[in-house]
Amino acid sequence: MTSTEQIIQRRAQVITTLKEELIRRLNLPYTPEDLHEDVSLLGSGLGLDSLDALEIVLCTESCFKLKFPEDSTAILRSINSIVDFVITEQDKRSGAP
Amino acid sequence: MRLSPLRTKPAALGATFAEQHGREIATRVAGRAGEYAAVRDAVGLTDFSFVQAFRVPEEKGIDLLDALVAGNVPRIRFGRVLHTFLADDDGMLVADCYIANNDREFIFLCESIVPDAEITRLLDPSFEDLTGSHVLLGVDGLRAWEVVREIFGANVLGLPYLSVEMYSFQARSVYLFRAGKTGEFGYLLLAPVSVAEALFDKLHEVTQKCGGRCCGFDIHQELRLEGRFFNIHAEGRRVRDPLVLGLQWMIDFDKEDFRGAAAIKQRRAAGLKQKLVGITSIDGRRKLAPGGEVVATCFSDVLDRPLGLAVLPIGQAYSGLDYRLASGQTVRTISMPPILPKSLKVKLDEV
Repeated sequence: MTSTEQIIQRRAQVITTLKEELIRRLNLPYTPEDLHEDVSLLGSGLGLDSLDALEIVLCTESCFKLKFPEDSTAILRSINSIVDFVITEQDKRSGAP
Repeated sequence: MRLSPLRTKPAALGATFAEQHGREIATRVAGRAGEYAAVRDAVGLTDFSFVQAFRVPEEKGIDLLDALVAGNVPRIRFGRVLHTFLADDDGMLVADCYIANNDREFIFLCESIVPDAEITRLLDPSFEDLTGSHVLLGVDGLRAWEVVREIFGANVLGLPYLSVEMYSFQARSVYLFRAGKTGEFGYLLLAPVSVAEALFDKLHEVTQKCGGRCCGFDIHQELRLEGRFFNIHAEGRRVRDPLVLGLQWMIDFDKEDFRGAAAIKQRRAAGLKQKLVGITSIDGRRKLAPGGEVVATCFSDVLDRPLGLAVLPIGQAYSGLDYRLASGQTVRTISMPPILPKSLKVKLDEV
């Protein structure tokens, strides 16, 4: 497997897990395929509110065993921004360069 | 060609104009750098009167609008605004729409990529066309809230994103939408022509006091991309398939019918083959060439690099990959939006 394929596979796994959890916990009327990774989560786009944001934080923390920083505004902008955070935190934990 | 009733205002400030689908648009007023900085650091005042506006009584509007657009109109709460789209019978985009529930009426704002008449012919006679009798002004930027607060009072600060409220200006009713597609604070004002010039002058005066200026529409096209807001005039016009564009969030798939629903649902069932992805250059070039897979481009002053949107095969539509475009340029796919607008750090309930 090439490194590109590894990057894709790893990212796809995190995305799938996150989307399935968000749909289940926020009761979103979409399939995982419907949720574009760049769609805005709060305000425009999915239009989620502050309670939903808290649910996203709790759900991500519990799924991936990590902790969000106190100010998570930048992380919570889109599914992709959350996935970036998850992968960075996993790399930190595993000591990856 | 349809001209804005406010044409002389940006023209007097040195605006350049362009024609799109039979409408004249002020594209540039103060120069690109100045307009970009105005919105990101202060405030930009823009004439959006090229957008069509309609009013329809609530009792008729619910069913008529719901049969037309992809979103769920009956679920729009009083005082709130739905962001959705209008498609053709093939399920391809025609217009980017805001629908506001203003108690006994709906206000329908339609930013389209077809001539006015093609939208109007879709509408029931009960729709009152406000396009010629009203102007639509945009106030966008980090300090936009200061401008509307000075004119309409501190209550405007309580408006949530995607909401509408009526205010009075020189004894005439003005619809104030909290909306915007830049990532900064944004307001749209729908005002009767009778007070349009006076309102523009007042907004311009306060905008300048806040360090801002009058802007053209071109800068909004760049700001939309940088903030990853949908732009019907760029990726929307070139791609047109709402599913490839990632606009599923604008669609109520449980609705039995809306214009283009059958085609959209059929494509959804067949599965996506392509997807829109953010890209940036990695070869030091200051531009991304539009064309081929690249359907929108801009330069981000905040990041000091070019940004774009490309339609890639679904299996390669992931952030963080190097991708060789058909043009030969190698780009990197990125997570969008790549910037954190300064407005996200401002809490209006604490100012």
